[in-house]
Amino acid sequence: MNTTELEAKVIEFIASKVENVDVSQITTASHFEALGLDSLDTVQLLFDAEEIFGVSFDGEEVKSLRSVGDIVAYISKHPPAV
Amino acid sequence: MRVVVTGMGIISPIGTGADQFWNAAIQGVSGISNIQCFDASGQHSRIAGQINGFDPSSFLSAKQIDQTDRFTQLALCAANLALEDAGGLEGYAPRRLAVSLGSGMGGFSTFESSAARKLQNKSMPPFTVPRIMANSAAAWIATKHGLKGANLTCSTACSSGANAIGMGLDLLRTGKADAVIAGGAEACVLPLTMSGFEALHALSTGFNDDPARASRPFAKGRDGFVIGEGVGILILEKEEAAQRRGAKIYARLAGYGCACDAAHIVAPDMEGQVAAMQTAIEDAGMTPAQVDYINAHATSTPLGDVVETRAIKQLFGERAQEIAISATKSMIGHSIGASAAIGSIATIMTLHSGTIHPTINLVEADPECDLNYTPNHAIQKKVQTGICNAFGFGGNNASIVFTII
Repeated sequence: MNTTELEAKVIEFIASKVENVDVSQITTASHFEALGLDSLDTVQLLFDAEEIFGVSFDGEEVKSLRSVGDIVAYISKHPPAV
Repeated sequence: MRVVVTGMGIISPIGTGADQFWNAAIQGVSGISNIQCFDASGQHSRIAGQINGFDPSSFLSAKQIDQTDRFTQLALCAANLALEDAGGLEGYAPRRLAVSLGSGMGGFSTFESSAARKLQNKSMPPFTVPRIMANSAAAWIATKHGLKGANLTCSTACSSGANAIGMGLDLLRTGKADAVIAGGAEACVLPLTMSGFEALHALSTGFNDDPARASRPFAKGRDGFVIGEGVGILILEKEEAAQRRGAKIYARLAGYGCACDAAHIVAPDMEGQVAAMQTAIEDAGMTPAQVDYINAHATSTPLGDVVETRAIKQLFGERAQEIAISATKSMIGHSIGASAAIGSIATIMTLHSGTIHPTINLVEADPECDLNYTPNHAIQKKVQTGICNAFGFGGNNASIVFTII
């Protein structure tokens, strides 16, 4: 999948996890906190993302994921195991 | 009508029996070590406050061991110690003797092993459910000692033991019981339990190579709580009856308060903690000005210790700096449903002995935690009124007030 497709898929996924925010309002620049997600919500989000994207969110790097764009970058860098 | 504590039983990572536990506590002994009870090499947190050398066969038959989870076995042993300490309750009618016990996880060791068996399509042992159910310990204590009155179990996470003791106080005050065996028991140093707490980022993971320093309430560099197991049991009676039978009286159980944050399912809220302490003090017919010791909930989480500090400052104002505080969990870890029962015993021993046990590992305090936490060394100080705090997941805040008699 190319970057544009990945971005769209991640945005769609995030939209399904937040409340009172329309998918059209979410961009790669959107920060989780601004979308109403606290630190534990973010942990839950990454747990669900593992299933959807087939990627393991593990290690120190994960603690600095704060925005939609961060997730896109992480998945790009850690493609799913074949 | 005043309620008093006439017996205590405790099994903890730093000692069995009130004297052994207290001697270790005032010396600042750490009971935290690398996990030995299961292969923890795959866990992020590989340390715990474990009870070593506990042998249920020393007081239970093989059949009774088959029918009980570890948490029930610990509770039974501590109840035996407490009743022995109190000199027995034979003078009371059996229907007037109650049990009120707290446990956050109940028979979770049995749950974890049963789930593994089920996933492998193996058969279930017949006592699977009776071992797992949270009321198992209270039921077994009653059965062993013929206690035919109310048999209550409270499960409110980390405040289970405190609420159970409070419920015991209420049973006596409302005339529903003449004596209550009250406390909390937990045996949850287990793979699934620990992974669950790890997934919440609640456990300390940065001290696996230096376990004794991991549980560090109020200190800089704390990174979460250390899981622990244990049991604390109090024998509660009405003061007049206890005096009539010549019972040894340790302290008065003066008040109990419980207040829900109603804010977040796990993150603590200052107002709820203030309300629990305030309600407990008022229930004791006292004012905050009379409190001179706090056995803090203080689990060594970055957030929790700060919130509790703020709550203490909010309620006690300028006087907060004069109150001696100590964190038992710095030595034994967090035994969830048992923690407040053990903290209560520490509070009672503080009143009884005039010594305040230290909060260990407090080399450098978090700047946001600037009260008097009795760092590293016990101090001699006669205190008259102590509060034991317990602030559990679910925003469940409970405080218990003990006074000298």
